[in-house]
Amino acid sequence: MGFSTDAIHAGQSPDPTTGAVMTPIYMTTTYAQPELGLNKGYEYGRTNNLTREALENNIAVLEKGKYGIAFSSGVAAVHSLMGLLKPGDHVIASKHIYGGTYKVFENFISNYGIEFSWVDMSSIENIEPVIKTSTKLVFMETPSNPLLKLTDLKAGAEICNKHDLISVADNTFMTPYFQRPIELGVDIVIHSSTKYLNGHSDVIGGIVVTNNEEYHQRLRFMQKSLGAVPSPFDCWLTLRSTKTLAVRMEKHNQNSIAVAKYLKDKNYIKKIYYPGLLEHPQHELAKRQMSGFGGIVTVDFGDINIAKKLFKNTKIFELAESLGGVESLLNHSATMTHASVPEKERLEMGITDSLVRISVGIEDVEDLISDIENAIK
Amino acid sequence: MSKEKKGKVNEEKYSMDTQIIYGKDVSSKWDYSHHVTAPISSSTTFRLDSVDRGALGFMQFAHTDDQDDQTPILIYDRLGEPNKDMLEENLAHVEKGEMAVTFASGMSAISGVLGVLTQTGDQIITHTTLYGCTISLFKNWYPRYNIEVKTIDLTVAANIENVANENTRVIYFETPANPNMDIIDLAALRKIVDELNESREEAQKIQIVVDNTFATPFCQRPIELGSDFTVHSLTKGIAGFGTDMGGVVIGRNEYRDALLLYRKDFGGVLNPKSAWAILTYGLPSLGLRQKQQIASAMRIAKFLEENPKVEKVSYPGLESFKYYELAKKQMSDFHGNFAPGSLLFFTLKGSTPSDCKEKGRKFMDFAADNAYTLTLAVSLGHTRTLIEHPASMTHSVIPPDDLADHGIDAGGIRLAIGLENVEDILKDLSDSLDVV
Repeated sequence: MGFSTDAIHAGQSPDPTTGAVMTPIYMTTTYAQPELGLNKGYEYGRTNNLTREALENNIAVLEKGKYGIAFSSGVAAVHSLMGLLKPGDHVIASKHIYGGTYKVFENFISNYGIEFSWVDMSSIENIEPVIKTSTKLVFMETPSNPLLKLTDLKAGAEICNKHDLISVADNTFMTPYFQRPIELGVDIVIHSSTKYLNGHSDVIGGIVVTNNEEYHQRLRFMQKSLGAVPSPFDCWLTLRSTKTLAVRMEKHNQNSIAVAKYLKDKNYIKKIYYPGLLEHPQHELAKRQMSGFGGIVTVDFGDINIAKKLFKNTKIFELAESLGGVESLLNHSATMTHASVPEKERLEMGITDSLVRISVGIEDVEDLISDIENAIK
Repeated sequence: MSKEKKGKVNEEKYSMDTQIIYGKDVSSKWDYSHHVTAPISSSTTFRLDSVDRGALGFMQFAHTDDQDDQTPILIYDRLGEPNKDMLEENLAHVEKGEMAVTFASGMSAISGVLGVLTQTGDQIITHTTLYGCTISLFKNWYPRYNIEVKTIDLTVAANIENVANENTRVIYFETPANPNMDIIDLAALRKIVDELNESREEAQKIQIVVDNTFATPFCQRPIELGSDFTVHSLTKGIAGFGTDMGGVVIGRNEYRDALLLYRKDFGGVLNPKSAWAILTYGLPSLGLRQKQQIASAMRIAKFLEENPKVEKVSYPGLESFKYYELAKKQMSDFHGNFAPGSLLFFTLKGSTPSDCKEKGRKFMDFAADNAYTLTLAVSLGHTRTLIEHPASMTHSVIPPDDLADHGIDAGGIRLAIGLENVEDILKDLSDSLDVV
């Protein structure tokens, strides 16, 4: 089936008891058991919920995976990866990872005897030199947040296969509509479904997808035991959102290309990051592993005063955390998403004080461009 | 509940406190089987499997007799869906009616039952004091259809005999009435209507329709007392939390099909998410909420009655109340205890009617600005205590000069008791009265 067809139908057959075409919100927290030791595969809402199952199956199909495991947030999904590790294990993670993921790894999971190495994965050959006998898992995020550095997923997955490592890719920015890591050989895909998958800035959620039965079992156990499960209502809202994922992503992509093209030669821009621009150093890789370039455009004004002008004067763009919603947002990475990264490291990464991440929404693009223009004027 | 349970439970041997939680033990409306809490239906359309089954579904819709309590063939939300169906079953049960049909709001239910019972040329007899929007329905719309609405004092049941004629189809009222708490004698009315109906053909018979919103089925079951139909704004005491709108008509089975057709064609359907909330939170907690609210209302009524700044308090639980004895006869909880409800109406003392009104305004404005537990807002049966001024709010449809004809004091204050600690409500009332 095509992507849009799957987005609308996968995981959602009409309710067997009523014929309801749309999945009900299954609210029960507990299930009556006909006799001792016998149940219908459903015991308790944390372990099983039919609305959640529908969402998990839907996104699994979109990611070309067999199993989806949903969580109450993206970082809860990241946390579940701990279920694949044990003390003494070593993890290689991208240096340009989302700040929240960095915090889970560095400030929490590292306390359990798990060691992390941070490498710049925009050059995939940086991975192999740090592999050691205890290495267990490689965590990639592409494009990265907020600098949109790409990691070659196919090459990364090949390295992991060669060394018998678990490969994980955070696909939050691209969504399966533009990039399907499992098709490129990656073992596990992870999402903050709060972003494009839900897309309307009204649900916090995360999901992990895999084809591997063993990883699935362990992650499922983490879902049940850590208990960071999404509510049936949030699952239902997200399931409603994935139906329009294709049309939303198309429009995010179109608008972002237009915004990036408009901004790239302006004299108030010092640097622009967008994988869809020919000037992006990894544009060829972008074309190879992605079928679109996504909805995030990052710009460095070189002067914090211009950034401040933008934050203060826009009428449509709001200054706010998060991204991937239908509405356009601005983010100041240095003080918001990456505030927890020490200044020296942050500046080395390229996250300057004058850097602004733009989450381009699906409004009329002429309005977005004139809003930026008027704000900076 | 599950159809797969082995034994069939006889609900009637359990107390109504328990029955309002469970409803019918085995429902044919939705076999969601092992789920302990019902799912929320969120599909507007239902798969019909085959043309024949679809045709059967359309044929069975609004043909209650043919269905024999089988699971309905669901077609489209506006015709029926499982959450509403389950709620209807439970509401009929608790109000001692044979069937219930829900609507999008209380007004939708009222206009629905009257729409089914009347046509051009018919007469409706009603009481002088009614909820403002019901008055508006009668005054602004029914003249268009040439349906006569005759307003009389129904607290004297015999008054009916003076106005009833061959065109009379419905006697419609609230008891207690909104906002002045008038109580109407259902048994006396039933007796007179039965006499009038004796010589009438079935279709010409006069039907008694009671709006039971103020009392809720916890305090009063009008069908047991002699009404033909009970209507509710579910938005109030039954839903109970101020989060969902809804209405219901409860009555005899023979009217179910007409009500379903009316609802289908006029479209005032209750949305399934609200039906679910009322089914899951509202009705099961009705008894607990009402018990607390009645106990508080009683304390508050006595407090107000003793306050020198208060002219008059109308609360069915007060011995000084004009209809106290009748209220004691009609309003009782599931176990027969006197249950005078959670609403009261009172007036402040003043030298002239306009002085009373001015003092009332001052009192309510002070409460609106300063009280933690008194919220100036319309609606009732909420978790929060709501205070309002009927003359300028819920009953503003009545011109000031006509208020007295409708039994409403221009300065009267309606108080709908919530679930707060009663001492806190009393404190706020006392502080607000102090400024008058």
